[in-house]
Amino acid sequence: MDAFSMGLLAAMGALATVAGASEDIESDVGSQSNPNSQVQLAAQVGFPHRIYNKAISGEPPSNALWCAVAAGTAMVLIEKFAMPALLSIALGAAVAALFNGVFSTTAYMGRNASQARFNQYVFLDVLRTHTTTIMAHAWITAFCITCISYIMAYVLPMTHPFPMPLIAMIWGLAVGAIGSSTGDVHYGAEREFQNTPFGAGLNTMDSGHIVREAEAGVRSSIDNAWFCAKFGGPATGMAFGLTVFLDNWRATIFDPATQGVLVVATGVVIVIILNIYNKMLENYARKKYGPYPEYKGDIEA
Amino acid sequence: MSVAAGGGAPSKVEPMKLRIYGVVGGLVGIYLASLLGPMTGNWASFIAALGVIPAVVLGANSVRRVCSYGIGTGVPSIGMLALGMGIVAAMFGLAIGGVIGPILGTAIAMGFGYLIGLITNKAIKFNIPVMEEGTMDLGGAGAITLLGLSVAVSGSADYAAIQMSVIATGYIAVVFIAGSLAILHPFNANLGPDETQDRTLTHAISTAALAIVAAGICGIGTIGLPSVLTVIVGFLVWIVYFKKFFQLVKRDAAGVVGTGLLPPSAQ
Repeated sequence: MDAFSMGLLAAMGALATVAGASEDIESDVGSQSNPNSQVQLAAQVGFPHRIYNKAISGEPPSNALWCAVAAGTAMVLIEKFAMPALLSIALGAAVAALFNGVFSTTAYMGRNASQARFNQYVFLDVLRTHTTTIMAHAWITAFCITCISYIMAYVLPMTHPFPMPLIAMIWGLAVGAIGSSTGDVHYGAEREFQNTPFGAGLNTMDSGHIVREAEAGVRSSIDNAWFCAKFGGPATGMAFGLTVFLDNWRATIFDPATQGVLVVATGVVIVIILNIYNKMLENYARKKYGPYPEYKGDIEA
Repeated sequence: MSVAAGGGAPSKVEPMKLRIYGVVGGLVGIYLASLLGPMTGNWASFIAALGVIPAVVLGANSVRRVCSYGIGTGVPSIGMLALGMGIVAAMFGLAIGGVIGPILGTAIAMGFGYLIGLITNKAIKFNIPVMEEGTMDLGGAGAITLLGLSVAVSGSADYAAIQMSVIATGYIAVVFIAGSLAILHPFNANLGPDETQDRTLTHAISTAALAIVAAGICGIGTIGLPSVLTVIVGFLVWIVYFKKFFQLVKRDAAGVVGTGLLPPSAQ
């Protein structure tokens, strides 16, 4: 591996880390994906709220849209108008952020209007203050992912056979999936249910009973972004950054065309090492923090 | 989270009417654009994009019908299913059909959709009364949306042209994901016990307009200046229908307020 490829690889890893973190926080401001079911349920069980209800779809398809639109626009600017790549990608991400803003706004208005019988209002100040925050984070995600796609499609010594928008869509799906599985736990299981013991999980009878009040005043979704930026966002960033870095690393140190077997074998070894590490981490956490006081052990069948 | 699980959603506009509008409107748009394309120097390509609007409305209505039976988290999946069925059938139809390619692709997609609905109901035993009809409509809507947006990007309904300017360039990614979100987002965004058909379908027109804008931007990279017209048309349609959607939100919501503390609980 030459120094140039190594530098590109490091840049892709760094961009992916930022993309993962911003994607998770973007979804948390809007309560998208998994935690959304509890926000949706809250008003229905008697707790109308001022939390943003951004029900666009699961995170993977929506992020695929932002990233594909950003990459499509950037590619038009680069190839048709010969504009500088960095500026084109920034403009593409801006178009994607506008799409994000429209989808977010309509989701908030539509979902809350459909809960009229539960007295769930549409708060225009929530729309004005939160939508811009969501769009800003979506811009960062789309920008970083499009940069990664640009590097893969145009800059790497061995360029990817797929065109840039397609690569961006696939990475958009990936960042959404990782944000959904990694970061959402921090928001959905912890932040929404701070009225239950830490790490206790969600009891069925607590469904929809989300925390609606803040340290002072009413809790807003921007408070949730502040909370999630401490752990959920960075953890998602690390997960996605490692995914992009390790995946491209194995294809850079070995030539996929002639050393395909080694590329696959390296991937398998990485998966095995990560599994062992995860098991060790889980055992450590269980030993240190569990079992919970009310946990009396497994009931024998 | 679903609307009266088991009962289906109340509708003012009949599904058959929407089906006719969707299929006929979509195909007329595709054929008009590809016929007028060579004569107008691709300035007519926006007509194909406009034909996508009734198809997206058809798709959004069938998502609404099927998902009203309690498929809450399945809304995004069914949108992906629509375009998934659509892309395979549409490309197959175009590849073997020649001039009748779009009609063939749509028919195959609808047949394919019906078969999937049948399997879902009979083999997996979903037992949703409108499943076959719903997936049939979704397949058709997906195929027409994909074809319409592809013609808007390439300026032609010819398989080779679409292959070269939509698939090889990667703009298919934008067409696919923008088209599927246009179909799935309206019901997903309006899901709830007080969802109304006119609000959801008005929203569908605005999301279809956004997909048109996205395809228009990609079209600038392939057919050039004529595609700017597609972007403008899409944007104008979006403004009109977004405003209508907002009016309907104000009509349906418990309250649209500038600000306020926690609303009182209804219980």
